[in-house]
Amino acid sequence: MAITKSDIEHLCGLSKLNLDDDEIPIYLQQMTDILEMIEQLQSADTDEIIPMAHPLDMHQRLREDKVIDTNDRDIYQKNSLSAEEGFYKVPKVIE
Amino acid sequence: MHWETVIGLEIHVQLACDSKIFSSASTVYGKEQNTQASLIDLGYPGVLPVLNKEAVMMAIKFGLAVEAEIADLSIFARKNYFYPDLPKGYQISQYELPIVSHGQLAITLDDGTDKIIGITRAHLEEDAGKSIHDKFSDTTAIDLNRAGTPLLEIVSEPELSSAKEAILYMQKIHQLVRYLKISDGNMQEGSFRCDANVSLKPKENTRLGTRAEIKNINSFRFVESAINFEVDRQKEILEQGGSVVQETRLYDSDAKETRSMRTKEEANDYRYFPDPDLLPVKIDKGIIEKITASLPELFDKKVDRYVSTLSIKRVDAIEIAKNIELAEYFEDALNTYNGNPQLLANWMLTEVMAILNKDKIEIANLSITAQSLSQLIQRIDDGTISSTIAKNIFSQLIESKMDVDELIKEQGLEQISDTTEIEQIVITVLKEHQEQKDQYLAGKEQVLGFLIGKVMQKTQGKANPKLVNDLMVKILSNN
Amino acid sequence: MERFTVKAIQNMLSDKQINAAELFDLYSSRITDYDQSFNAFITSDVEPNVEYITDDKNQESLSDAALTGIPYAAKDIFCTQGIRTTCGSKMLENFIPPYDATVIKNLKQQGAVLLGKTNMDEFAMGSSNETSYFGSVHNPWDRERTPGGSSGGSAAAVAAGLAPIALGTDTGGSIRQPAAFTGITGLKPTYGRCSRYGMVAFASSLDQAGILALSAEDTAIFLESMAGFDPLDSTSVEESVPQYSQYLEENIKGKIIGLPKEFFDGSLASPYEALVAESIDSYKKLGIVFKEISLPNIGYSVPTYYVVAPAECSSNLARYDGVRFGYHSKNIEDLDEFYRTNRQIGFGEEVKRRIITGTYVLSAGYYDAYYLKAQKVRQLINQDFERAFESVDIILGPTTQTSAFKLGEKVDDPVSMYMNDIYTISSNLAGLPAISHPIGFVQGLPYGLQLIAPHFKEHDLLNLTHQYQKVTDWHQMMPKLSMSSESNN
Repeated sequence: MAITKSDIEHLCGLSKLNLDDDEIPIYLQQMTDILEMIEQLQSADTDEIIPMAHPLDMHQRLREDKVIDTNDRDIYQKNSLSAEEGFYKVPKVIE
Repeated sequence: MHWETVIGLEIHVQLACDSKIFSSASTVYGKEQNTQASLIDLGYPGVLPVLNKEAVMMAIKFGLAVEAEIADLSIFARKNYFYPDLPKGYQISQYELPIVSHGQLAITLDDGTDKIIGITRAHLEEDAGKSIHDKFSDTTAIDLNRAGTPLLEIVSEPELSSAKEAILYMQKIHQLVRYLKISDGNMQEGSFRCDANVSLKPKENTRLGTRAEIKNINSFRFVESAINFEVDRQKEILEQGGSVVQETRLYDSDAKETRSMRTKEEANDYRYFPDPDLLPVKIDKGIIEKITASLPELFDKKVDRYVSTLSIKRVDAIEIAKNIELAEYFEDALNTYNGNPQLLANWMLTEVMAILNKDKIEIANLSITAQSLSQLIQRIDDGTISSTIAKNIFSQLIESKMDVDELIKEQGLEQISDTTEIEQIVITVLKEHQEQKDQYLAGKEQVLGFLIGKVMQKTQGKANPKLVNDLMVKILSNN
Repeated sequence: MERFTVKAIQNMLSDKQINAAELFDLYSSRITDYDQSFNAFITSDVEPNVEYITDDKNQESLSDAALTGIPYAAKDIFCTQGIRTTCGSKMLENFIPPYDATVIKNLKQQGAVLLGKTNMDEFAMGSSNETSYFGSVHNPWDRERTPGGSSGGSAAAVAAGLAPIALGTDTGGSIRQPAAFTGITGLKPTYGRCSRYGMVAFASSLDQAGILALSAEDTAIFLESMAGFDPLDSTSVEESVPQYSQYLEENIKGKIIGLPKEFFDGSLASPYEALVAESIDSYKKLGIVFKEISLPNIGYSVPTYYVVAPAECSSNLARYDGVRFGYHSKNIEDLDEFYRTNRQIGFGEEVKRRIITGTYVLSAGYYDAYYLKAQKVRQLINQDFERAFESVDIILGPTTQTSAFKLGEKVDDPVSMYMNDIYTISSNLAGLPAISHPIGFVQGLPYGLQLIAPHFKEHDLLNLTHQYQKVTDWHQMMPKLSMSSESNN
């Protein structure tokens, strides 16, 4: 599966990354190499094999529906450069 | 060309859990911005989700109530996309292996027949935060209190054929989630939200047409106008030989039309994959049996029971059972009541409903307890007071908590049922209203009401109305 | 300068040769004096994070805590309350977590005191500690070489005696490979053994917190306090934590170690092959029986890992958008541009590469061929191990193909860099515990051996390694250090 420049641009769009024009050819070459390496997987015989999502055969533990009240908003918002009046701010979104 | 409308509804129900689906922050509505967003809800580096048991139980309850399959093993998946109200850059939802699938619900059409609507699936997911566009002039404000609130997304098969059917289905689901007490169904607060997928197809085609998804429908009224607008819009396009674009549209309730959302959203590939921070949820038969046993009596069965066991008129049974809280109050009152249930039902639907509407309150906030009401109606039934007096007492009970029997005694409101006493008063009234007496004897029967009214006046409403009526008629006929 | 083990420090403290505050100062000064040569620390001028160090009275109440007075360093991927946590990235350059990771909390409760946060490959992505925003780490054995990665800073700190012990994380070998390159002992516990809460996620189904130490004994002491069930981590296991130090002297005679023929296919260069053969001999002399086994699908480890890990990381790193925390550009009016710019500036190349790879393998049309396929191959690898452990107790192999390579040697060739993990990755895929311990030197550079055990058999790994370390002294060899002021730049 050959990866193209427009693939890279599409992937950057999905993952919100920017690449400079001069970076793109480098990434393109590196991605091509990586994908070639990954392609080795196709030769594995996985008929009838169940995908392994977790190393251990366990099930989800359920948590009691109890509220643990911690309103530490002001402490948390110290890490944000765009908080005002308790809100987080982002560039205007038009719906 | 005969066009058939095909509608599928996706309803998002906020589950009535105390804490969020993956964190222990509170879910109470209306708190100051970002005071109910824990580190987990904020998607901080290093935090991890742990699943709320109650959310799972509620989902199972719903599944059982709609006769669906409850997945033995159910998986949470990440739906990846960027949006300011989605702190982690992904929503934890379910994709393959949802907790509930293949259910159904019957809606009763106008002609009285039932139509079964399939429920494809219902799955658990977390709610996003809120974007507020008009708080600041040049930025959008984000409040993440709502982020992480447990949601049950209920997806119907595309089997609804009109806006009317869509409303019936939506109402049925709304009633059901309230019956099951898994949600308060409060549409103003966003606990119950509906998206509609609408498409048209030529009647003879089996293949469905291209659909548009309409979002932001937050009242039953809007469902009807949104769908009708959309159907007309699509019909016009198709009849002119064009094709409908698969897109998301927003319903604008002021302009009463649907508008296309920025199509950038459509370009999203959500890249679903099982969330590696969560493990498969195993539901064993024991849990399902326990929940099945705890399911409340649902609407249809309740109505049937009211009709067959309590002999209440079906139309009244439906009115009471429509609202689970009203039904519960009614059944509570019935517990201490020995009289005719229809009488109690009448009072629920007239006096009680009137107060609820006038004061704009829920029955949970009614100052008259079910026991008090039951006592009051019991006294009508056993002849202690007349229904007119009962109405008087009822209004007094709204204002002050008093025992019904004490009140009757204190104010001397007992009904007058002494035949001799009433006869005397009837005779007096007839003497005082010669004109009306003559009119009655001349054949004007309506005047009877006037004469009876006068007797009631003289007895401050305490005379037994039936006795008055019988005696009045008897005495007049003797003349 | 001398390197003190945790065990030695415990003795020194109980003999009152030194007290906790003095010990803290001793190591803090070493960091100040020597770290400029290595760049092992990102943050080191911290106040002690336990109260008793400044308050003598409290030292009494903590005297029965297992790790009272023991200083340690933590990879900068662990959230430490009030102390900057950067993950080696510009994105989190100024991030101050409002909470402690659970393993940090556990260690605090046992009295251990944090010396500082160590350097690492950015967001744990790398095998040479060259992708850090805060500069590369230099191997104390040869400053022109890498200490390995991504826990390069922790490894260099312990090897150089700047910290007696350090925490790291291992997703594809990030504890074991640096341990091998720096001549120390590194343990990756079973997946789910230690809590991941507060450990910034790279690849959620592979990440595990672990230890870099001077000996198996020290590792056992620390693991006892670090490990354990955490209700905040759904993938945390409710398996009780053994007293690992009590297993160090168990009899190992007759234990069977499997040698996968795929690990011994002649591709190792002779000097390394010779060291491995010598260590096998040492184990034989201790009574171990060796058996050839096969892990037929192990060759797929690297491609499997480089589908699964980037996929998970591409999603885990989506939260870094500059809004609630993290790097944030000003004066951008378009939301899309805002996100993209923050992430373009905040993230380095390797991180971007893995995000793009991960996004690709999850995207529509490719999910089945890549992600789903990789998870199936992962199952094959897991089954290979299960089968092998039916007839052997432990599996042995090299940790790395060579000793430490030169800084800059592989930065332009990602695939070549990825092949570094060829021996270590499979145990992450199967969630198995694995340890690396030093077995000698090739041209003055340390080299390590790897042991892999079935789930929750860390005590066997520590037992074997301890017995080996009783009859060898590779783990006691220390690089020659020069003070920062003396070194040429």
